[in-house]
Amino acid sequence: MNAIEIRGLTKSFRGMYALDGLDMTVPQGAIYGFIGENGSGKSTTEKCICGHLVPDKGKIELFGKPYTDAGVRVRVGALIENTGCFPNSSVYSNLMMQAINLGVKDRAGEIERVLKIVRMEDNAKLTFKKCSLGMKQRIGIAMALLGDPALLILDEPINGLDTDGMRLMREILVDITQNLGCTVLISSHILGELEKIATHYGIIRQGKMIKEISAAEMDGISKAYTSVKVRDVEGAARLLAGRFKTENDGEYLNVYGVDDASALSAYLLQNGHFISEIRHNKVGLEEYYVDLMSGKEAL
Amino acid sequence: MENANVLKFEKPSFFERLKGMLGVDFYRLFHTPLFYIFIAIAAFIPALVSMGGGQGEGAMYTNAWQIIAANSPLYVISNMGEYANMNMVFIFGGIMVSIFIGHDYQSGYVKQLFTTHAKKQDYMMSKTLLGAFSMICMCVTYMIGGMISGAASGLSFQINAGSLLCAILGKMIMSLGWSSLYTFINIIFRRKFGISIALCFVLGTGIPVIGAAALVGNSAALNIFLYGSSVYACLSANFLSVLVCLACSVVWAVIYNILGTVVLYRRDVY
Repeated sequence: MNAIEIRGLTKSFRGMYALDGLDMTVPQGAIYGFIGENGSGKSTTEKCICGHLVPDKGKIELFGKPYTDAGVRVRVGALIENTGCFPNSSVYSNLMMQAINLGVKDRAGEIERVLKIVRMEDNAKLTFKKCSLGMKQRIGIAMALLGDPALLILDEPINGLDTDGMRLMREILVDITQNLGCTVLISSHILGELEKIATHYGIIRQGKMIKEISAAEMDGISKAYTSVKVRDVEGAARLLAGRFKTENDGEYLNVYGVDDASALSAYLLQNGHFISEIRHNKVGLEEYYVDLMSGKEAL
Repeated sequence: MENANVLKFEKPSFFERLKGMLGVDFYRLFHTPLFYIFIAIAAFIPALVSMGGGQGEGAMYTNAWQIIAANSPLYVISNMGEYANMNMVFIFGGIMVSIFIGHDYQSGYVKQLFTTHAKKQDYMMSKTLLGAFSMICMCVTYMIGGMISGAASGLSFQINAGSLLCAILGKMIMSLGWSSLYTFINIIFRRKFGISIALCFVLGTGIPVIGAAALVGNSAALNIFLYGSSVYACLSANFLSVLVCLACSVVWAVIYNILGTVVLYRRDVY
């Protein structure tokens, strides 16, 4: 079963289309990295799923049920744009309100549990407005984790976090999907971080889903290549033509399908091409995303 | 992914949903100073009004209970004594409801509520009940404040106890209708906090009904409006007055709740 299935979702604001027939499929148990430029429609999609925005057209299903089903929605946790906490209330009070809202039975125990998950158990009495940005993000996650959520929707949760904060957030997200069976939809601009945890990706542009791909499929098409820096890049490219697929990026010659880099460097040297630099690369999410956005097929 | 847990989704009943939403609202009400400030204001206002009303001939009040309600249902205002009574609670109540709902939107907490509550009527009903409860509490403290200030001013406490009880009960019942109106206004102008407060203030003061009364006279037909029925709960009230208040309050509460729910379903909530 898919955790989220969206077909033909359309949403406009004063005649401007934020979503234009968006299709999306998030498998149950996935960490779905939702990628796109600013204003591409990521937050709008998330807000539609959470019922904050009313779509013009389209179908949204969560775990096979309409997104308006009260039984499903009570098991959706969200952190969209901000944490939605009362600034003058304590961290504990904010969590308590959410626990009451969700009808959690053992509220104190549940709050303790989620605070432990986000490593905030010593800061429960702190007034929310006095928390740092990283703490606020973690409190937002804790709020979303209350009440045994089946689906977490997180909008830019790692924005503004330091290296330690990002690592912690990564650990938390992997932990909740593996141990709690939660499905996570996460949007972020920090593709390097997303690449470390996501099992699936969805790339959105101008309100349309332009590519959905699993991390495994991504690995399959993410070919490794060797970059060599030589004085005569075109000459070296001509030399290797027929043996390897090459790409001249101006400064470097990117050579695909190289199994033995030392043999390649020896061959170039024998033919008068002195190598000043050689390195092994792999097409990552970022390159894939940039290529896709620029209309190029990923190599 | 193939081994993903089989999830069960239990639909919460209407009462479970309402209990959750009301629980949050009441927790917030009792854990933040807003409610206590308004309760104190409601107690303090009658003292201010009766002190400013003067004593002896030409005084605003001759009887302490006039601080609670006017002698008769007069929609056309001829003096401040007929106007300045427990109905003022509905003005403060409007401001309080506006601030309470405004904080929901300002903090973004409303997103949590609407994410987990697919049924948007929960929000309308919860805020209506919370506002009604707050205004009833304000009525109680207003009454206590009025009695103390009446005694301090040396006013007479002679009254028909049954009529007084009907007047107070009628006004308390009206809290439900007023609260639903204020909740509806705040749903319409949810991002325009200032407009909500101003509109609640204008409607709470009863200016539109007073204006209508100036045109149509002291007509009982004005009882169909919230302000009209609130005035009808006066010191000459009887059981019928309570029934009129109940009918008016409940009918408007239902109307505003339906309208508010339709607005929430049709418009973006955040």
